[in-house]
Amino acid sequence: MEMIDRYIYAVTQKLPLSQREDIAEELRSLIEDMLEERVQGEDVTDNDVVEVLMELGDPRQLAQKYKGTKNYLIGPELFDSYMLVLKIVLISTAIAISITFIIKTIINPVTILDHFVELIVAFVTALPAAFGWTTFGFAISDHFGEINAKDLEIGTEWKPSDLAPIPDEKRQIKYYEPIVSITFYTLLIIMFVFSNEYLGVWIFQDGFSDVVPFLNNETYTTSLLFIILIMGIGITKECLKLIYGKWTSKLVTYIAIVNVISTIAVLFMINGNAFWNPDFLLELTQAGVITENSDGYRTVSMIWNQSTLWILVLLVVGLIWELIDGLIKANKK
Amino acid sequence: MKDANEYLDKLLQELRRGTITISVLSQLSEPQYGYWLVTMLEEKGIHVEPGTLYPLLRRLEKQGLLESKWDTEEARPRKYYLLSETGKEVYKLLIVEWQQIVESMSNVIDIKGGKMDGDD
Repeated sequence: MEMIDRYIYAVTQKLPLSQREDIAEELRSLIEDMLEERVQGEDVTDNDVVEVLMELGDPRQLAQKYKGTKNYLIGPELFDSYMLVLKIVLISTAIAISITFIIKTIINPVTILDHFVELIVAFVTALPAAFGWTTFGFAISDHFGEINAKDLEIGTEWKPSDLAPIPDEKRQIKYYEPIVSITFYTLLIIMFVFSNEYLGVWIFQDGFSDVVPFLNNETYTTSLLFIILIMGIGITKECLKLIYGKWTSKLVTYIAIVNVISTIAVLFMINGNAFWNPDFLLELTQAGVITENSDGYRTVSMIWNQSTLWILVLLVVGLIWELIDGLIKANKK
Repeated sequence: MKDANEYLDKLLQELRRGTITISVLSQLSEPQYGYWLVTMLEEKGIHVEPGTLYPLLRRLEKQGLLESKWDTEEARPRKYYLLSETGKEVYKLLIVEWQQIVESMSNVIDIKGGKMDGDD
């Protein structure tokens, strides 16, 4: 009878969440009715099940019939995740822009009008952009998902023995995990784009006076491109997790490729003096935070000089951990 | 050129799509479940795949022509469908339209058939 469960799962997992349970129950009672008629009071054999499922046909086609014809950009199986991601992206963008405005106003209240204009401009440009990119990403996944489904149909007769087992709970990816990560990446991008000049050590002398930036202002435009690229790769990775919904060896392979690419990009960006502010220690001393040749100076200078290495080590360890974790979950029986 | 049967299959499919809806509506003045409909229609010479009928029932329900209820009293829970008030009204209008179509179609086919016979 496990084959029936697999069949029902194969049909319903392609359908919107809200209808799944009802359709599953109705299908089950249909299959039982069909079996009953076939065996006429005898015991049901596996062969009977196979024949009944053959009569019902390819679960993908049945799911397609439940969905109706495709006249949408983002299909019902992705729509729930799309709406969720869209809300989160829009809300986090709006919050980040507002926080930027508040910080700028606190730091420099005289030019509040300028900050306000920036706020309006940011809202008008960033929100539609966030909306557009999210929609674009999901439309692309939907499109390629459809093509894959069609490729598989050509020339292959569907058999009940093709039915994949229902994935174990432990292999499933909780949908909120990728969503939390996507939010985090979005916030980081916005932080880097809109408030790079405040990314550093804040100096307070009679209130706020200056920032000693971590990053090199002269090369910031190039660095920003890299940062957006790396975050974009990260978002793509999380979207893959969201679409697959469970750990499979295929997903782990994709993530491995994506992780290698992002590590290379990070290495390329961070490795070199152009990324970090070359005068960081000098500026800190000038601002009076540390005095040269003191213990404090040596500690700060040690941390500053080794930070590149440690950031890389942490990053690589994190990415490898993600892969091992995925690999373990994908192979769980 | 394509095989005549290939054309026929495609056209028949289109033709059947509408008639199946009418057949389904015709049987649902009393609550019935999906598989009963499949067997009942089969007996009356109308062949419907369960894989076509079940999604159709759902669509008609969503459109408001049918209402549904789960019956869990019996050994096996089944979902029963029934014409809604709108459904009844639509069905009445559909029969009138259908009869007109049958009439006009037989007129059209008769004329064409006559001509073809003449050509032979």
